[in-house]
Amino acid sequence: MPRFGGARWTPVAWLVWAAPVWAQAEATTPPGWFNTDRVNALVLLVVFCAALLLYIRSAARGKSTYIRPLPGLEAVEDGVGRATEMGRPVLFIPGTGDVDMAETLAGLAVLGRIAGITARYDTPLMVPCLYPMPLAAADEVVRQAYTDAGKPEAFKSDMVRYMAGESFGFSAAVNGWMMRERPATNIFLGEFTAESLLLAETGNAAGAIQIAGTARPEQLPFFIAACDYTLLGEELYAASAYLSKEPKYLGSLKAQDLFKVILTVAILTGALAVTFGASWAPVFQGWFEAS
Amino acid sequence: MSLAKRLESLDRRWIFLLIGLSVVLPMFLPITFPERITSQTQALYDTMESLPEGSVIMVPFEVWPSTLPETEPIARAAVRHAFRRQMKIVSLSNVGGGGPSIADRVLREEGNAAGKVYGIDYVNLGYRANYLAVLSGMGTSIRSIYQTDYSGTPVDSLPLMRNVDSYKDVAFIFAIADNATLDYWVSIVGERFGAKIGAGVTAVMAPKMFAYIDAGQMVGLLGGMKGGAEYEKLLGLPDQSTRGMGAQSLIHLLIIAFIVLGNVGFFLSRRNARPA
Amino acid sequence: MRGPLPLAVAFLAGMFMIVSFFSPHPAVEKASGDFLNWVSIVSGFSILLGVVSIAQNNLAKVKRRQKEWPYAVVLLVALAVMLAGGVLEGTDSGTVYDALFQNVQAPMMTTMFSMLAFFIASAAYRAFRARTLQATLLLGTAVIVMLGRIPVGQAIYDGLPDLANWIMAVPNTAVQRGIIIGAALGGAATALRIVLGLERTYMGRG
Repeated sequence: MPRFGGARWTPVAWLVWAAPVWAQAEATTPPGWFNTDRVNALVLLVVFCAALLLYIRSAARGKSTYIRPLPGLEAVEDGVGRATEMGRPVLFIPGTGDVDMAETLAGLAVLGRIAGITARYDTPLMVPCLYPMPLAAADEVVRQAYTDAGKPEAFKSDMVRYMAGESFGFSAAVNGWMMRERPATNIFLGEFTAESLLLAETGNAAGAIQIAGTARPEQLPFFIAACDYTLLGEELYAASAYLSKEPKYLGSLKAQDLFKVILTVAILTGALAVTFGASWAPVFQGWFEAS
Repeated sequence: MSLAKRLESLDRRWIFLLIGLSVVLPMFLPITFPERITSQTQALYDTMESLPEGSVIMVPFEVWPSTLPETEPIARAAVRHAFRRQMKIVSLSNVGGGGPSIADRVLREEGNAAGKVYGIDYVNLGYRANYLAVLSGMGTSIRSIYQTDYSGTPVDSLPLMRNVDSYKDVAFIFAIADNATLDYWVSIVGERFGAKIGAGVTAVMAPKMFAYIDAGQMVGLLGGMKGGAEYEKLLGLPDQSTRGMGAQSLIHLLIIAFIVLGNVGFFLSRRNARPA
Repeated sequence: MRGPLPLAVAFLAGMFMIVSFFSPHPAVEKASGDFLNWVSIVSGFSILLGVVSIAQNNLAKVKRRQKEWPYAVVLLVALAVMLAGGVLEGTDSGTVYDALFQNVQAPMMTTMFSMLAFFIASAAYRAFRARTLQATLLLGTAVIVMLGRIPVGQAIYDGLPDLANWIMAVPNTAVQRGIIIGAALGGAATALRIVLGLERTYMGRG
């Protein structure tokens, strides 16, 4: 397999090397087994997967990855410190999505870090959950974090609670919990729907510092209006990399960035081609059509 | 406390009180305004008008009871339009907590008003768990997902469903939605199976849906109560959405007034804080 | 269950669903349909987990007469009534379950949703201050869109609704697309990490 000047280009090298192989596979695959209209999706998937694995491997070997400062995440440890000084709890909601949503997993990954900090500082932690499976995962994550911090006895099973199976019931229950316990710091990271503003405004009324992040564009305006710090879209996924510096998260971030560059170049190329009436514009556009 | 500080830090309970009055007063003093039709609403209306009379359309009720004040008037307008054009409606819901019963109520009430018969003119398939499986499965065979309808009647016994077994047998999908399931309707049903989709959504979701309209993945959109009011105007049937625009107009003006007040207080405070 | 078995199941299931996206073969389509049905069945069982958890917590609260234990009694009674009604009578129109849902739960949900109107007003009043250039742009845009969406805006300036619509259709759409693309890439990376066994947060491990 050819190498084109280092790890940065290796995913491109894979693509160039693999293309004739895939073309031959397409030509020889029996009809009905492979939808040839989706070759473009397959190519993008292979490139993304290759980039992901290669950058994770590169990060595991110690190659440093720059992540720009995210004010919301820099405030996390200060927020926990504030809660410790005030003797009030930290409230963490890993979203109101189920465990099959990537945002929920991103939230749970950050929960592990937060639980480690609260374990170190003996700060009370409250983790309400909307669905049973995130409840089970969050319970295990927090328990493990307390064990890793050397304080397994400090973990209380009612730290992580199932509040309700419906988002407004959940927000009513959590709002009540917030107004009674008055957490000093609220952290909302995950998938949220209409209850986002209910939670954030009540948290504001309870006097908490609030850090929120979601990949749902329709909920971001509410968090921006009501919270002190907001992570926008993919910054939620960068949070786990930012806080943990684990190779799998750093490598993923870099692969995502590479893909963003590829997509940006493709969008600009297509836009310019269509604007200036290039003859190859329809062919180029066809490469990206879904089927 | 100075005026500046008072304006800057108004007790939120005054805000709540004034908002409450803005909602209640129009109930006793109804105000209606002429609606300007947006291109997205017009496109959706034109699509429905362009379908042959008697077409079969799908109207998924992807709504929770909480958003009914916004979504029910849109749903009723869509169903009335369909019945007016003698269209047949296949309905379902991927929202277990109330979607199918909302669909049942709306379809029956509108169906009775229009003289339509269940099983012949409209059908409510109800709810099945796992929306990904449902949306993907209906592309191949609706019967693989729904063997019975919402009331437990075998689908095969419903005259409307005799010639309807996948998206190919449906001319248009007019989704009523208040949650992200609509994204999957667009990405799975629209993109994978090539179905034509339009939607009536809550106002909060509307900004995100503009991207789908622009990309041609949706043919039209009704955004919130305003979208519903525009559609009612096009149908010539002013109803709940039109009436609700009075309160919405008042509330928008009130919020703008609060923003202005807050900024006046902010700038006055800054001016007072500057050293002489 | 720990160890390699859950990772192997995740890998095989994930790879199969990826393959089924690219293969239109009827056997593959049928298998993936069956697979998704299994997901529905497993999801149904997971609801039991939540019911058991909430019942246990609230029973313990009542037993120990903890703070606000009467509310726990209300919760348990409501849980029992809805469960019994749904199981014994079904959930069709006219049943106890449906009556309670339509006349108690639905209005409560609508009430909670309607509180957003109050909260957005107080959030807007607090947040939309022209502290910086970006904040001023945000506040100006919000005012234009709010005015443009109501008939009064048209009365103030005839072109305001079109300007509001342009803001929604052009700059807003561009930003939404950017966020959606970024979020989708993040989601795809997370999904691939799960399939490849690199991400174990769903098992409660880091």
